[in-house]
Amino acid sequence: MKLRSRRLLDRSLTGVSVMAIVLMSLSLLVLLGPIFSRGAAAFLFRATSEFRRFNLEQFNRGDSRRIAAESRAVAEARQPLYGMLAAFTAELEDMDPARRRELRQQFKEVRDLLRELLGPLPGEMDAVMLRQQYGQTRWDRARVTLQRILFSEQWDYSDPSRMGRKVLVPRRQAFAGTQLEPLFPHLQQNLKSMLQPRFTFYWRFLSDRSLDSHFFGGIWPEILGTFYLTLGAMLLAIPFGVIAAIYLSEFAAAGRLVSLLRVCISTLAGVPSIVFGLFGLAFFINTLHLSHSKSVLAGSATLALLILPTIIRAAEEALKSVPHAYKEAALSLGASPLRMVLTVLLPAALPGILTGVIISMGRAAGETAPIIFTAAVSVGRPLKLWETLNQPTPALPWNIYNLATEHQAVDQIRHVQFGMVLTLVLLVLLLNLAAIVIRARISRKMRG
Amino acid sequence: MIQPTLANIRAAAEPATADYGGRQAHVACDRFSFFYGDNQAVRNVTLDFPSFQVTAIIGPSGCGKSTLLRSINRMNDLIPGGRTGGRLVFDGQDVYGPRLDVVTLRRRIGMVFQKPNPFPKSIFNNVAYGRRLHDGPAKGRLQEIVEASLQRAGLWDEVKDRLDDNALSLSGGQQQRLCIARALAVDPEVLLMDEPTSALDPRATARIEDLIAELRGRYTIIIVTHNMQQAARVSDLTAFLYEGDLIEYGATAQMFTKPRQKRTEDYMTGRFG
Amino acid sequence: MKTNERNLVMSDAASRLRRLAAFFSKGFLFLVAAASLVAVLLIIVYIARDAIPFFKLRGLKELFAGTAWFPSGNPPEFGALAIFIGSGLVTLGAILVAVPLGIAAAIALSDILPYRLRQAVKPVIEILAALPSVAYGFFALVIFAPLLQNHGGSLLSLAAWLIFLPLGLLIAFAVSEIATRSIRADVAPAARWLLAATLAAVLVRGLAALSAILKNVAVSSGTNAFNVSIILGIMALPTIVSVAEDSLQAAGRELREGSYALGATRAESLFRVIIPAAGSGIIAAVILGVMRAIGETMVVWMASGNAAQVPQPWFNFLSPVRTLTATIAGDMGEADQVLGSERYHVLFALALCLLLISFFANLASEWILRRQARRLGGLK
Repeated sequence: MKLRSRRLLDRSLTGVSVMAIVLMSLSLLVLLGPIFSRGAAAFLFRATSEFRRFNLEQFNRGDSRRIAAESRAVAEARQPLYGMLAAFTAELEDMDPARRRELRQQFKEVRDLLRELLGPLPGEMDAVMLRQQYGQTRWDRARVTLQRILFSEQWDYSDPSRMGRKVLVPRRQAFAGTQLEPLFPHLQQNLKSMLQPRFTFYWRFLSDRSLDSHFFGGIWPEILGTFYLTLGAMLLAIPFGVIAAIYLSEFAAAGRLVSLLRVCISTLAGVPSIVFGLFGLAFFINTLHLSHSKSVLAGSATLALLILPTIIRAAEEALKSVPHAYKEAALSLGASPLRMVLTVLLPAALPGILTGVIISMGRAAGETAPIIFTAAVSVGRPLKLWETLNQPTPALPWNIYNLATEHQAVDQIRHVQFGMVLTLVLLVLLLNLAAIVIRARISRKMRG
Repeated sequence: MIQPTLANIRAAAEPATADYGGRQAHVACDRFSFFYGDNQAVRNVTLDFPSFQVTAIIGPSGCGKSTLLRSINRMNDLIPGGRTGGRLVFDGQDVYGPRLDVVTLRRRIGMVFQKPNPFPKSIFNNVAYGRRLHDGPAKGRLQEIVEASLQRAGLWDEVKDRLDDNALSLSGGQQQRLCIARALAVDPEVLLMDEPTSALDPRATARIEDLIAELRGRYTIIIVTHNMQQAARVSDLTAFLYEGDLIEYGATAQMFTKPRQKRTEDYMTGRFG
Repeated sequence: MKTNERNLVMSDAASRLRRLAAFFSKGFLFLVAAASLVAVLLIIVYIARDAIPFFKLRGLKELFAGTAWFPSGNPPEFGALAIFIGSGLVTLGAILVAVPLGIAAAIALSDILPYRLRQAVKPVIEILAALPSVAYGFFALVIFAPLLQNHGGSLLSLAAWLIFLPLGLLIAFAVSEIATRSIRADVAPAARWLLAATLAAVLVRGLAALSAILKNVAVSSGTNAFNVSIILGIMALPTIVSVAEDSLQAAGRELREGSYALGATRAESLFRVIIPAAGSGIIAAVILGVMRAIGETMVVWMASGNAAQVPQPWFNFLSPVRTLTATIAGDMGEADQVLGSERYHVLFALALCLLLISFFANLASEWILRRQARRLGGLK
């Protein structure tokens, strides 16, 4: 081949490989972008007066006098709206039956939506469900509800060759000429004063319990559950992992048994996480009866198995990277091998071991499949420490799945889902960052 | 105390010093061999290391001098496939005997390595390390022992204000003296030095050599070196090893002026090695 | 006290005691280290123990050849062929995404990027590896699936442009280069350019036609094999990149220098010398990456559509599928109420298949990596 074409090939290889790197980095950005931007909205958002009323009544938080004043102002702003509703109710009675039947249904929808937007209408009894006692606490959700009040969704099937198309029809048309017609522009123009949105930093999203299955409140039970599960897994896995690493790196003579051990470790690392979950169910719960049914303990034990190989490998690597000279020095001073390991080897390898431990902590915190059958429930209160022995818990990864797929109002609590994902991702990223910092410090120390 | 048979030094050398002046400590090899698998690194070496004297082991690299040195405190135990032949005696006991206590052996025979290898701990903890191993955490006397050891190693004045600093912050020469202090702290009788200055600059080397001179008479010192001037400067006796065989052994002054063996002379004049 | 402490020879009792202590401490360490061996054995035993009753009751044929999956039906049917095909399909998709991308990225990291850039890219790989699978699944379900459903056609055509345009141009240049090799030297450049331009024009026209077709593809559901394949591919990337990069690095500088010294370009050194030397490591990397894709649960459970049907035609990536892992995760919630039933045992049977696949894949990659280490070790 000519030199020119050889060079061309060379350059295209460079191009292709750099493109791969760019694509990889891009996919990370595309992945994290929405998680960060929409997850942040769980913490930082425009909260309505309903939010402040909710916080006062449910968590006893906020300045009660100011909130009372705000409630009065809001009620005043809503007054004309409620007036229109009452006037239309009266008007409805006098209509001819056909039109009445037609409009009553539509009116009911409007009233339901208004209730969703602003909370219970005047004169209504307190509802049982918390979500019916309050209007929209978030301005972004309020805007969505407003859209649904202003426009009704209809499906257009006129073209049989295509799928049905969604068409938005202004509700105002249906009520043209009635007393309700001015409600729609009025609502649109005055919604701000009816809800008084204000920027709020809701950091207590992390520390509040959830109310009415995540319609309100925060994700504390999930965070605590994840914490318990991770801690338990680490407590079980670290001793086993580090001791196994010590044995493999210091005491094991090369032989069949040891290579069998190594094969087992890598096999364990390759077992799919869902199989760990099944095993945890079949072994820890149905055979050992660690607990009657799902519990944090059983989940931790399962997670511990999952991260054991990671810890062993990291610890062995760290132990092996300790300079041989340290070991010799300790032995030459009359330390027995065990003393040498405890007094010199382990302290010197500690940062490296720590790096591995932290990374596997992130892994344990984020794993879902192993805890589905062993530890996780969708709804639960924060556990006390001793309850972890026999109680299941909600946990971040499981509840992300659960809220995103099985919740009764998946679309209405997207912000909670994103907030949970962001929390989990941040947790894992911070753990990894810590590992990176420790590793950098080790390599600086080794060089210096 | 000293077994007379071992005092018979074969090869051409006569006993360098008739009187070992010996207290209890004494190291002697009797047809000692060391094998790495099938490879015999030390071949039937028989020699005495007299007490309270400095003995240098010289020879080209790969001649088995380090192996011999490391056999004395059984640091070669770690090598897979390593085994010994003949006898190596310390204080009247076979070092490779079945009931020998390696921990005590190594406590009584200190060692200093090629490259300074202080632990990544504080200066104080480095020196105290061995002592803590043997005494447990007896705090009160520890302070004195650390100070005495550092003084004996000539390092006290340089580090007395920064005992809590990391030992790795010291210079190479200081680190090596720290390692010597660390070895001295457990109160050994024999000090093995495996090319202790090979990683140091000339000034630090001179400092260590001075230190060896100061320690002479208090400890039995066995030093491996491939620097012949160093052997001439610091040692009383010199053993020349070549390919695992002991070629010549005698008083240093005599070896360097009138070697009896042709190969010794060739090595010393730089014809090989 | 002093003499006692300095006694070189231990008494018989002390010596025996010390040997005993050494034996027991070493034994203890070994026992703890054997925990992973015990764990592996227990996992195999317990999964198999609950899987065997299923095979005893229903035999092998139904599970592996049947396509009707109605475990809760009356009578229940356990034809898992569609599920195996689903697993296979998403894994194939993940391979198509991850293997070319991963190997190219590994080459860039080991041989092409300058040191500083390399250090900057490493955290990207680490973060991709560290992100919890449920976060990937959430992304696939909540962001990617609606996108695919609403703009599937345009996304596909964009992807086609992105992938085929550079590759096609490259091929066009190569073809024109080869085709004009035997032409007279004075007209060759002109002919080459002419040919290349024609080919490029044809390529662009072809792509435009293709993208027009793709644009009209209606994606009936965003949760399908295509979605999952891409996400799984991204998840498998870090494994493939890091293992492949390690083995490319392990090929050593001597090999590279030797090849450069003979006047080879970087591409030639890579393809003729380094990749052959590191080849088995790259294969192991691919196996490990594939394992990650097969074993992954959350992403497929959330975003594959979970329809136990064989796609029509079998390579239709836009149809919803159901995988082994998702079946276990999804069905166990109902099946553990009827512990001991066929519904319970069939899930263990599926898990056993999964376990065996991962077990053998792991052994294979381990064996390959070890062989490579030995060979490269001998080379040095």
